[in-house]
Amino acid sequence: MGAIFRIEGITKVYRTGDVEVHALRGVDLKIEAGEFLVLLGPSGSGKSTLVNIVGALDAPTEGRIYFGDDELTGRNDAALTRFRRNHVGFVFQFYNLVPSLTARENVALVTEIAPNPMEPGEALELAGLDVSRHDHFPAQLSGGEQQRVAIARAIAKRPEVLLCDEPTGALDSKTGVRVLEALDTVNSELGTTTLVITHNVSIGGMAHRVIQFGDGRVTDIRTNAKRIRPSEISW
Amino acid sequence: MRMLDRKLVRELWRLRAQVFSIALLVAAGVATLVLGVATYQSLFETREAYYDRSRFADVFAQASRAPEHALGAIERIPGVAMAESRIVDRAILDLEDMIEPGSAQLVSVPDHGEPLLNTLYMRAGALPDPTQPDQVVVNEGFARVHGLDLGDSFGAILNGQRRDLRIVGIALSPEFIYSLAPGALMPDDRRFAIVWMSRRALAAAFDLEGAFSSVTARLLPGALEADVIDRIDDILASYGGLGAHGRDGQQSNVFLDAELQQLQGSSAVLPPIFLFIAAFLVNLTLSRLIALEREQIGLMKALGYSSLAVAWHYLKFVLAIGAIGVIIGFGAGSWLGRELANLYSQYFHFPYLIFRVDTSVYLLAATATMAAASLGAAKAVWGVVRLSPSVAMQPAAPPRYRRGFATGLASRFSQATVMIIRNIVRWPLRAVFTMLGMALAVSVLVASMFAYDAIDHMIDLTYYKAERQDASIVLNLPRPEGALFDIERLPGIMAAEPVRAIPVELANGHLTRRVAIDGRHRDATLSQLVDEDGRWVPLPETGLVLSDWLARTLELQVGDLARMQTLDGRAITAEIPVTAIVRSYVGSAVYMDLGELNRIMGDGPLIGGANIRLDPTLENELFARIKQSPAIVGVSLQSLAREALRETMDENILLMTGVFAILASIIAFGVIYNSARIQLSERGRELASLRVLGFTKAEVSWILLAELALLTLLALPVGWLIGFGLAAAMAIGFETELFRIPLIVERSTYAMASLIVLAAALGSALIVRRRVGRLDLIEVLKTRE
Repeated sequence: MGAIFRIEGITKVYRTGDVEVHALRGVDLKIEAGEFLVLLGPSGSGKSTLVNIVGALDAPTEGRIYFGDDELTGRNDAALTRFRRNHVGFVFQFYNLVPSLTARENVALVTEIAPNPMEPGEALELAGLDVSRHDHFPAQLSGGEQQRVAIARAIAKRPEVLLCDEPTGALDSKTGVRVLEALDTVNSELGTTTLVITHNVSIGGMAHRVIQFGDGRVTDIRTNAKRIRPSEISW
Repeated sequence: MRMLDRKLVRELWRLRAQVFSIALLVAAGVATLVLGVATYQSLFETREAYYDRSRFADVFAQASRAPEHALGAIERIPGVAMAESRIVDRAILDLEDMIEPGSAQLVSVPDHGEPLLNTLYMRAGALPDPTQPDQVVVNEGFARVHGLDLGDSFGAILNGQRRDLRIVGIALSPEFIYSLAPGALMPDDRRFAIVWMSRRALAAAFDLEGAFSSVTARLLPGALEADVIDRIDDILASYGGLGAHGRDGQQSNVFLDAELQQLQGSSAVLPPIFLFIAAFLVNLTLSRLIALEREQIGLMKALGYSSLAVAWHYLKFVLAIGAIGVIIGFGAGSWLGRELANLYSQYFHFPYLIFRVDTSVYLLAATATMAAASLGAAKAVWGVVRLSPSVAMQPAAPPRYRRGFATGLASRFSQATVMIIRNIVRWPLRAVFTMLGMALAVSVLVASMFAYDAIDHMIDLTYYKAERQDASIVLNLPRPEGALFDIERLPGIMAAEPVRAIPVELANGHLTRRVAIDGRHRDATLSQLVDEDGRWVPLPETGLVLSDWLARTLELQVGDLARMQTLDGRAITAEIPVTAIVRSYVGSAVYMDLGELNRIMGDGPLIGGANIRLDPTLENELFARIKQSPAIVGVSLQSLAREALRETMDENILLMTGVFAILASIIAFGVIYNSARIQLSERGRELASLRVLGFTKAEVSWILLAELALLTLLALPVGWLIGFGLAAAMAIGFETELFRIPLIVERSTYAMASLIVLAAALGSALIVRRRVGRLDLIEVLKTRE
């Protein structure tokens, strides 16, 4: 398999109020198709910014990014939207479900606009949500369940890449492991390239590679000779 | 159903309280426009249809005694479709339930068959039998006020002879939709009747066999009315013709015109303003409501929905709210419009009502509100979709507050108060708009309610400052000044001042107006001229005094020469300078010194009647004497005239403005409730955090509500100012030949408008206060920001 993403000299500067924040100070990275990557690093080290740029939620200030052979940088909003719609799945720390839609409907929200989606029920099962919970509203689901709905929503379109920002950040260890198992299943069964941002060093053990961030730069890349299973992780 | 649509439906349901209150705002704006226009249009259409179906004449003329062959000449005038002669005269009525004498207009109906023109709409009974000279038909208003029915009789003095007239029919007539006694400003069904008798009976009573005293004609389409009028005047000149006139000189029609014009005025000024205000508020509210959806918008974009799809989703959301409002507004507006039109058609004595509204009104109302709602949504959605999704999904960056003037205050006020002030200063535009929204609510209330003040002032000025006599006596024909002594000798008369009214056509260039010149002594005190503030204005020795309305209509100013021609059959002409202009709210009065007027008339010192002051204890005796006195054809009591004016005003203006005031209250509540609710949503997290930090519910509520309270208080004076402006526009809209509404807004009206808005604010505050109590504190700790 070749590189699914090529990232070349990416920088990102934010202006928040009067403050100028250098979120990324030059990042180069190649991501292979089907890879499970864990991105580690302290808050503000640039992990989320990079993932947002990879997922076309945000544009870099400088540098280039390629999806396969296609350059993403410099494309207009419509093209980026199309890219997200067809190729990228997101999982957020706080699930970001639409509160007025049930679990199944939250997934259907995406399958409706994707070109080759799976059935919402199938995606929910793959993400490990009990069938009896499929027609519950977010407010009726636990945090772990909500996160599994979010994963189902992200994978239902059969994306090439799944981007997860602190997927277990708001969950306890036991629930978090079940979410990680769902991600692992998706990665191995669908071959979806998966990027997981976390503060939790132990999660790095289940990755193919662990990317260490610090101060807007990649400070270390470690390849795991042997991957551990999610069930072996706890925190 | 697509997921986004499902979300839409559920969101509408979740926000139902707000959705409903915004929809109500829309509904109030739409309903006002629809009901205003519907009422006016329906009545206008009904009048047209009624005039047409009853063949209401186009031209009217009176003469002393015209031979029947003159009718043939009139029928042959080019442009005349048909003409009908008749006998019209007056009678004094002697009614059992009235101590004072009444008067009647007698109108003949043909001996065989129905009238050709101005057909009667029979409410009951039939036309009189020509062989029974005492059979009459009376107008419905008169019959109703006196409780008269078929078979009842009443006394009348016809040409000096007392008769008992028996009612065989009760009818409505297009000619007397309003029946005004000669010289009266207001219709009065109690004192004044229309009595239809057979031609034969009237001819016998007034010695007019083979002759007529009135002719009416209907014109062919395209006929030149002015030409026909000239020709009729020529024909009748030698028979004591009093000058023919079109519908614009027909009293009932003029009055109805004025009423419709006032109705149009009230429906032309306020409703568009209501609609505009509602649209503005909906725009404001929805844009803030959608700005709250920032994170959801970001999420949808992250999931791959295009900006357009997201925008369309929210557009549908606001369109749904707008549609709910428009539907309620259409329903309520049509229903209220129909009810109001029905009520008015009863006031106007229309035999039926044709309810009609142009679809364009619905279209206009719907388009305006939908556009305003869409723009509000578009503004907000655009603000969010422009952001990259990663930014949109984050809560907005903390706003940049400045240590401006609040810095100095900080030492003196609590942190909570400083928060309030900084919040206002940070979003001055939002504060201004919220304030403006409430100010507009105040202003529509002021504009709806000012009419009450204005009418009070109008009545006070007209009847307590200017026309202060207790009654006016009208003589059957001008009599030498000595007749005044006869009047003074009647029982109960404490003072009498002579008057003489001459019907004239007053002209300035091509502008003409039929009015009556009111001649009186310069030292008269019972009925006097006053300025706007009710201060006495002396009657100039020479020249004409015009009411401001008439001066404006004829474009005359002090010093200009007005041309007059009498309409008493003699057609005396003169050019008279305008020497003063006075304020008058009722009618189009023209005044002149009686001596000067008599000099112009050239028939010596005559009087036509008198204004009198009465000893109330001797009223009955006086009325009994007047009933027996053939020289007196009318007595009008000021107290009754005042009531009649008040009633007319109630019907014309207060009914409509009352409805507007209710709708304005709804708007006031809608604005404030939504401001408070959105404020709570926008700052819910911040406020809940304060609760977590240990602030009490009361303290947190204070932060939220004090800002609204401050803005409400600021809104009041601004609202008064805008309200005064709207009231001025309405006063102009109400202006007609018959009445003008002075622009008087009492403090009590400002106070009432303010109280209603404050009550709405208090109610909203209480609802929001309850919600503050239910803020989810755990949620705040659990989620980010």
